[in-house]
Amino acid sequence: MFQAQSRRSAGEALRRTLVAALTVSSLAWATAASAQSAAQRAVDAAKKSCAGKTITIVWEAGLQSLDPLNFSGPKWEQLTGCKVKVVEVPTAEMFTKIMQEYRAGTGAYDALNVVPAWMPDLVQAGALENLDPYVDKNGFRAELQKIAPTYRDNQMMVNGKIYGFPDDGDVFLFYYRKDIFARPDLQKAFKAKYNYDLAPPKTWKQFDEIGSFLTETLKSEGIYGASFFREPPYAMLMFQERFRVEGGRFFDPQSMKATVNSPVGVRVLTEMRNENRFMPPGVEKFGFVENLAVFLDGKSAMTISWPPYGRFAAGYLSEEKALSWVPKSKIAGKVGYALPPGGHPELALGFALSVASSSKQKDLAYLFIQWLNSEEISSQRVQLPYALRDPFRDSHYTNKDYMAKWPDAKDYLAALGQAAQTGLLDLSLIQTDKYDEALRQGISKLWAGGDPKAILDDVAKQWDDTTQRVGVDKQKAVYSAWAAKSGAYPKK
Amino acid sequence: MKIRARRRLALVLRTGAAVALTLAFLFPIYWLFMISFKTPDEIFAYPPKWWPGQINFANYAVLFKDGDATTVWNSLVIAGVSTLVSMFLGSLAAYSLARFRTGGEHLANWIISQRMVPPIAIVFPIFLLYVWLGWVDTYVGLILLYSAFNLPYVIWMMRGFILDIPPALEEAALVDGYTRWQVLWKVVFPMCRAGLFATAIFTFVFAWNEFLFALVLTRTEVATYTVQVTHYFGGQSNFWAKISAMSVLGTLPVFVVVAFMQRYLVRGISLGAVKG
Amino acid sequence: MSQRPGALAGSDGAAVAPPTRRGVRTRGFRLALVAPAIFVLLLVGVFPLVYLIVVSFQNITMTDVDTGFQGLLNYRLLATDGRLWEALLHTLIFIAIALPVELIFGLAMAQLFIERIPGRAVFVALLVLPVLVSPIVAGANWSLMFDNRFGPINQIIGWLAGQETALLWTIRPTLVYPAILVAEIWQWTPFMFLLLLAALSGVDRSQLEAAAIDGASWWRTFRKIVLPAIWPVIAVAVLIRGLDLFRLFDIVWALTRGGPGTMTETISIFTYVKGFQQFETSYTAAVALLIIVLLSAAVFWALKRVELAR
Repeated sequence: MFQAQSRRSAGEALRRTLVAALTVSSLAWATAASAQSAAQRAVDAAKKSCAGKTITIVWEAGLQSLDPLNFSGPKWEQLTGCKVKVVEVPTAEMFTKIMQEYRAGTGAYDALNVVPAWMPDLVQAGALENLDPYVDKNGFRAELQKIAPTYRDNQMMVNGKIYGFPDDGDVFLFYYRKDIFARPDLQKAFKAKYNYDLAPPKTWKQFDEIGSFLTETLKSEGIYGASFFREPPYAMLMFQERFRVEGGRFFDPQSMKATVNSPVGVRVLTEMRNENRFMPPGVEKFGFVENLAVFLDGKSAMTISWPPYGRFAAGYLSEEKALSWVPKSKIAGKVGYALPPGGHPELALGFALSVASSSKQKDLAYLFIQWLNSEEISSQRVQLPYALRDPFRDSHYTNKDYMAKWPDAKDYLAALGQAAQTGLLDLSLIQTDKYDEALRQGISKLWAGGDPKAILDDVAKQWDDTTQRVGVDKQKAVYSAWAAKSGAYPKK
Repeated sequence: MKIRARRRLALVLRTGAAVALTLAFLFPIYWLFMISFKTPDEIFAYPPKWWPGQINFANYAVLFKDGDATTVWNSLVIAGVSTLVSMFLGSLAAYSLARFRTGGEHLANWIISQRMVPPIAIVFPIFLLYVWLGWVDTYVGLILLYSAFNLPYVIWMMRGFILDIPPALEEAALVDGYTRWQVLWKVVFPMCRAGLFATAIFTFVFAWNEFLFALVLTRTEVATYTVQVTHYFGGQSNFWAKISAMSVLGTLPVFVVVAFMQRYLVRGISLGAVKG
Repeated sequence: MSQRPGALAGSDGAAVAPPTRRGVRTRGFRLALVAPAIFVLLLVGVFPLVYLIVVSFQNITMTDVDTGFQGLLNYRLLATDGRLWEALLHTLIFIAIALPVELIFGLAMAQLFIERIPGRAVFVALLVLPVLVSPIVAGANWSLMFDNRFGPINQIIGWLAGQETALLWTIRPTLVYPAILVAEIWQWTPFMFLLLLAALSGVDRSQLEAAAIDGASWWRTFRKIVLPAIWPVIAVAVLIRGLDLFRLFDIVWALTRGGPGTMTETISIFTYVKGFQQFETSYTAAVALLIIVLLSAAVFWALKRVELAR
């Protein structure tokens, strides 16, 4: 009796184990299958309904558009039979062309690249398609979750609804010449003067001290402590970052009055102007490429810019034809990567993939952007030699292939990964451009010799006027939604 | 003797002035064109480099290989055809206005007022119009638009040149039995060849340089050179060498045409024989 | 001298056939000549104008497509918009300086080249080049040339002055206007030059020679013979160039973006920012209509003055 019972319980146990094993393994198989097939599912779904159709996608002209033109477009066509027509538009005109085609109701564009800061305006105008139904239908939520937190939580939704897939890890990283910082003579002299070690600055005060020290000491070698792209469109983004890092707030959340002209703001502007003194003369005019040229030439010890600087400085694939406009890097292997002073880098601009609300092929457009944004394909895209798309998914920062691309690549990815946790979002409201414009003009006035307080008071006034015109309550709602995002203000 | 020496001195001075002027005007062109041979380090060299390290045509080859150079051809076609259209229609109208004051003051003023409309303000309505007509992203659309834009210029310019010519020759020809059309073709237009040519050059230039409408009214089928060049100015990139090489390619054809035809600009002494 | 308004008289009073004599017989011919041109102009010109007028009375902005009748809302805004009137002022300043300089310079150049000089063909062809460079590229090129670090202008000035110069041409308030004007004048003087060259070549040589034999001074010859002969062309060239200067955009945008602040913002830049970037469609329409009215008034007043002066 006892033997029969134990045989039966053994059988039970075995059966239960088998069932458990089967369940677990089938679950694992199903998860594995669904985890790696968001891209595949998109391909399969598209194959069924493509039949030689063409979808049109708007992309930034120049280097960026080489991705869909040379890689993702042809590959998609090969896999699904859908053709992709790329409409290249100069960056400055992208917003305009998207809005004009939408307003004219042409339906000429199916998929879009949009800068996340434009999303409130585009959504308000009704130009973007809400992607939630498509995401659910195609089971893409899991993979969307795997986008790095700052991008995922800040650049995907408007009013809690998904309108775009963050597709570009644009962030301001701090680059410095680790060889210069490692020089014993400089370290000694610096420690003697300032009483702390020469290292990437943690605060802007440290930055000022290190920068002026290095310029003083290295002027004879033609090297400056730092250089930035001080041209208003870029400097405006740097101001947004620094202002918030130093504790500033853009608006009073109750009254919606602009508080950009607070003492913090004035101090930041004043410091920015003073810093130019230890930077190369004429730095006020530096744009992206001018600053890059100076940095790659070895003439500045610190700078802040987008991720491509890191790749260019390392001389990564510099023989690539598409990168022939990049000056030769004299500092390969000498560059260190860190977070900017304050530790909260600006997620400057960036791109998200969206579907145009007036498109006549929304499903196909959606499938294409799901495929582009998927784990598998986006990994390949951020590693394209001519790519301007920067890592933006958690998996990108730990990608083995990427880490092998140049000796310091893993430090680079580590820094980017950190930045993706603590980044600050660009201000985006209704009529964002008007607010940005006031700031840009303010900065140009600063370089022309204007008084920081007067300038910011004028900016605040313009902001208030714009808020009035848009409608205080309307803007307040949008601002609250923006301010509630994790990347709006640095966590205390 | 003294007069001849003075004349010779004057000639030397004038030639010297011409050379100096040309050098001054051409310096920026030189700078721009040299960029197409410079490496990025040379473009952003400090102090500025006046001469590229080596002359190679790699940047031009790339433009042809990538198909960017075809935008120059597109623009040539669009600007060329629209120039022909507006020169033809405009010169005829100009004659009518000059000799017969057709429509009087009102017509002439209405015509020139078309050039007073700020382009930016009408880009969108024209876009709407073209959407309705189905002319967006087509050659015909742009050609017609540029023809329309340049008509006021051609009409007023040619009216000026035609008014310059004494009508005696025409009247003589009429008396000789020429029809009015023949008078136009065989007498008037040959006489204002210089004006026609000068006007045509700039009609072409206006169409050639036009950016705003080319940007808004095209998507992928029609790519003009001006729009293509702006693709090289990025927020995170700047293909200066391509910008420069494209500019060389862009200016070369017109320059050649002007060089060959410039003798029409300056009428010869023979016309002095025509006096009212 | 014909005093009939509207028509620019030719070099002698009988240049224009009085319509009364041949009126009927030439009517078909006359109209046939202008009809196609007018048709094309109407095709492209009517709808936008109607659109502008209608939209200017509505309230279409980036976020609102409100097509209800708003009355004079936009026009009232216009009247109190300081930035708009400043932009107009800036534009007028540019015109006031660039136009005369281009005219005089172009005329001087034309005079220089009208007489034979060796290699004239080459010079004339080369001097056309500035106009052929797309204004956007020209602006970017000048921006690079004016650059403090990478451009030759400061370098050249440094050589001439004997010390290193670091002039921030596109940033310092005192330098931005000269920088823009230099670039603009550089690009468009050839326009005046070529047109005036063509016009000068039409001056009756026998008259010139007669005056020379009579011992007339250069200035007298110029005033009495040359100027009246080329007057129609000058007038139109100035008109066209003036209207185009009113639309000045690319050079300023490339050099300063209208800055510092809005110091060099032309009316075109203003309209671009408002209409193109910020999508204030209705407001921009009202501004456009204002511009058309102002320009028409200015031009027609100027034309009348030209007539009376003759």
